[in-house]
Amino acid sequence: MTMLPKAAPGARKLGLVIDLDTCVGCHACAVSCKEWNGGGEAGALPDYDKYGTNPDGVWFNRVHSYETESQGCSRTVNLPRSCLHCEDALCVTVCPTGASYKRAEDGIVLIDTDICIGCKLCSWACPYGAREFDEDAGVMRKCTLCVDRIYDQSLPEAEREPACVASCPARARHFGDLADPQSGVSRLVAERGGTDLLADFGYRPTNKYLPPRRASIPVPPAPTPEPRGGGIGSALLNLLDKALSR
Amino acid sequence: MTPAASILLLTTATGFGYGLLAWIGLYAALGLLPPARAASLVIAGVALALLLAALGLAASMLHLGRKARAWRAFSQWRSSWLSREGVAAVLTFPVAIALGLAALRDGDGGWTRVAGLAALAASLGTVYCTAMIYGSLKPIRQWHNPHTAPDYLIYAAFSGAILFALLRTVVFGTPGLVAGAAAAGSAALALIAKWLYWRHIDAQTPLATLANAIGLRADGAAKTVVKPLDAPHFTENFVLREMGYVIGRRHAARLRRIALATAFLLPLALTVMATLAVFPLAAIVLALGGAAIGLLIERWLFFAEATHVSALYYGRAI
Repeated sequence: MTMLPKAAPGARKLGLVIDLDTCVGCHACAVSCKEWNGGGEAGALPDYDKYGTNPDGVWFNRVHSYETESQGCSRTVNLPRSCLHCEDALCVTVCPTGASYKRAEDGIVLIDTDICIGCKLCSWACPYGAREFDEDAGVMRKCTLCVDRIYDQSLPEAEREPACVASCPARARHFGDLADPQSGVSRLVAERGGTDLLADFGYRPTNKYLPPRRASIPVPPAPTPEPRGGGIGSALLNLLDKALSR
Repeated sequence: MTPAASILLLTTATGFGYGLLAWIGLYAALGLLPPARAASLVIAGVALALLLAALGLAASMLHLGRKARAWRAFSQWRSSWLSREGVAAVLTFPVAIALGLAALRDGDGGWTRVAGLAALAASLGTVYCTAMIYGSLKPIRQWHNPHTAPDYLIYAAFSGAILFALLRTVVFGTPGLVAGAAAAGSAALALIAKWLYWRHIDAQTPLATLANAIGLRADGAAKTVVKPLDAPHFTENFVLREMGYVIGRRHAARLRRIALATAFLLPLALTVMATLAVFPLAAIVLALGGAAIGLLIERWLFFAEATHVSALYYGRAI
């Protein structure tokens, strides 16, 4: 069913908040995503030419690095890019089969790979490049927000979060309910001015990105060297001074 | 966007097929078919149109990762233009067959006129749905604009008009004034439409900047310069293979000239020739060949020149 669901009152909006200020670009989230989704309920994530010269494969999460320059200050910004579970998800409405759908209860966008015909139109509809084609299975694949982890009652409650969030060593990734203004993620977005990627396109992504903080480290003026006396005598005294104060 | 042979063949062949059916439907509805040969013209035309439509739809199957599940694509017509295209394409078949049967039994009588009108609406509707698959994709500025839908209808009308002129020439020796003028006129219209489309996309500005793409708007995107430093992986991936196609500017300009000349200018001159009864059959056959090859080049460019916003993340121009 590819009509977008009407959000029920009180329905949750699960998503990620990613802190571009603290992300160090280590790719741990991408690797743990690949590991979890390669073996879990989602089944294998394909890799092509694994040991060859041109390895390739399906990844739900890819980390880009950019150099930004603003007001004379340059810095590296790392951007983990994955499905943003948009509220106006064009990838869902363009699907001809009903394989691509958005859940009413928590807003997660998923693909039913038993129905998908692999026409790739959903990947064309996504401005974020979040959907990738599985050449082995002939179907489309995408981030599931680890739906097979976050609801797994057999896991300890603290572990019921997406693999990318659990593995982030910089704690740059946060998972929660963005419909609840009191949730940790909503408060982070409010405090730090969380933004949408490509906001002008109107897809209304659920995932938010916290912009890098203004990096302005005050640089103290360089100390002026003390004037020293000339001559061989003062050089010897300086040597002695250095040796004694060691 | 990387041009896929299956989709080029799909959109071009269905353009010819449904375009031809639209003209037959129009002539039947208006009672403009020559009474003596109305039935044979309609039946030959409907058969050729459905053959080309079927060819196009078969080519589209090649694009699917899971061909056996293709029937599922008829289910989501309430939201998906691709689903609507599938439904309309298939529904047009019985309508076209009804037109053939009506012409067989009724000549150019009342039933033929009604069935002709239905065939005209169904075939134009199908082409419109095809166009809207591309027209509705917001991340692609070269497709998501007011040119796409009318252009597809114009190219279908043009290719169908050439085919109808060929049919009339086979039956009567010349295309006749109406069909000849329709073919030449739609060739001229298609030429202008393509030229206006290229002028439009050349004047467009990119839909987003890299600063928008990484969410730095709150930081004052205008003042923030963003440059790609490292891509996620060293090798190409699906997003780049499918949506990161880059065509050289000089290469594109040359292909545009070739497309304009073969798809529209050559058929325009040849159909005028045929209408004036100068080697009509040879002229129309050549016009058809030019249109087929030229429209395939034009369709290849429609994909190759289209840029997708997601390629921006990899630092490619959009």
